[in-house]
Amino acid sequence: MMSMRTLVTRSGPLLACLGLLGIWQIAALILNTDSFPTAMDAIRAIPSILGDKESLINILASLRRMAIGFSLAVMLSIPLGLTMGRSRGVASFFNPLLMVIYPVPKAALMPIIMLWLGVGDVSKTLVIFLGVSLPVIYHSIQGAKAVEEKMLWSGAAMGLSAAQRMIRIVLPAALPEILTGCRTGLVLALITMITSEMIARQSGAGNILFNALDMGQYDTVYAMIIIIGAMGIGLDAAFEKLRAQLVNWSEPRFDLPLSFS
Amino acid sequence: MIEIDHVSQVFRTSGRQEHLALSDISLTIEDGAFVSILGPSGCGKSTLLYIVGGFVNPTGGVAKVKGRPITGPGPDRGPVFQEFALFPWKSVLGNVMYGPRQQGVKRGDAEAQSRALIEMVGLKGFEHFYPKELSGGMKQRVALARTLAYHPAVLLMDEPFGALDAHTRTRLQNDLLNIWERDRKTVLFVTHSVEEAVFLSDKIVVMTRSPGRIKQIVDIGLPRPRRRAELLLDPRYQKYVVDIEGMIDDTSEDELHP
Repeated sequence: MMSMRTLVTRSGPLLACLGLLGIWQIAALILNTDSFPTAMDAIRAIPSILGDKESLINILASLRRMAIGFSLAVMLSIPLGLTMGRSRGVASFFNPLLMVIYPVPKAALMPIIMLWLGVGDVSKTLVIFLGVSLPVIYHSIQGAKAVEEKMLWSGAAMGLSAAQRMIRIVLPAALPEILTGCRTGLVLALITMITSEMIARQSGAGNILFNALDMGQYDTVYAMIIIIGAMGIGLDAAFEKLRAQLVNWSEPRFDLPLSFS
Repeated sequence: MIEIDHVSQVFRTSGRQEHLALSDISLTIEDGAFVSILGPSGCGKSTLLYIVGGFVNPTGGVAKVKGRPITGPGPDRGPVFQEFALFPWKSVLGNVMYGPRQQGVKRGDAEAQSRALIEMVGLKGFEHFYPKELSGGMKQRVALARTLAYHPAVLLMDEPFGALDAHTRTRLQNDLLNIWERDRKTVLFVTHSVEEAVFLSDKIVVMTRSPGRIKQIVDIGLPRPRRRAELLLDPRYQKYVVDIEGMIDDTSEDELHP
């Protein structure tokens, strides 16, 4: 049976959501303007969006771009970050480039990317890719740097080659840090996904949102915000669950739940 | 046999200054001998061990194992570090099996051998624990089993009990001696504890403070198998401890009045 304490911690996030919705509802009733529908109105608009084939295709297109951009970024950033973390030469080669890209808001690159690659999937996926790459690279570097030298020596004494040590020691040892970067990357993927669709409007969840805004359909605008927010929370929770399973060997035994999982 | 021939080691500090860590070390270690390197911290004794391990290349001289110059680490020389350096993502069994598996031993055989080793170091029942769930003493037992598992001819022990409390340290010394007396591997053991060195070793290499030089080599003529309780009462043991402590005191005085 679930104890009272776990019941309270588990339902905490849910209570927080209900609280926010409650405040929203009251504020909207008091302000009573067209551009600020009540929470109930927004929630009522959700089924019609999710029931609409066109909208669903849009949302799925968003998720597909996000999945591709995120996966490509992770697949390239982890090896790059780990190599940078272990090799001074590789680090000093790529570091200046990353230092230039890092502080630039990726959405600000969108107009240039659109000029070159058009307004289609490629541009949007590339922006997501850029947004996800940097935190994953950064955390992979940190993770690889922190790997205990003696652990690598122990592996070398067992006969592991340099490449084997990279894959079989540096990678698993840095995994907790890498996954922290991936979690940040996942949230950034969602943010860049929506922003890219705001700039290059053509399809996607962001497109629905900003079209509704243009047409003054405020219920839909707020309903979309709830849907996108729920997507973010859902993805983050799913990722946290996966992360906890992959690195349960490194977790402290008691920890505050920092996600919805 | 390990031959260390006029080995010296210079480190470049961050201020681009050169620091002589080891100066002209020559030493021969016979097969099956338990040799301790004893000295104050910063005397380069661990560096000497790392050179034999092939983890560090000496800036001068040459170190050889079985007549061949050491060019890198290899499974003939197994390290055990003060920091344990276990693989935290592997269970106790996974850590111990790692070496044999890497050497191409079949999973079933590697597991059977590893379970036997885990029992030998007194950790039966902990096979599926992760390192984070173990105490320092238990971690060092796992590290020892992990290294023994791939059958190195030489054990390189770098202050292995330095991070442990006195009680755990004593127990591990006893257990190490029992294990060693069974198969008499060559052991190179770095420590700054005189009692530990005298209790365990056939030969003690006393080093001076930086730059590390060999001050004196002392043969420990105490009979084996050694029992701690008997040894502590043995006047010969006590004399070795007092004499060697004196050498180390002299070393610090050299430092004060060069």
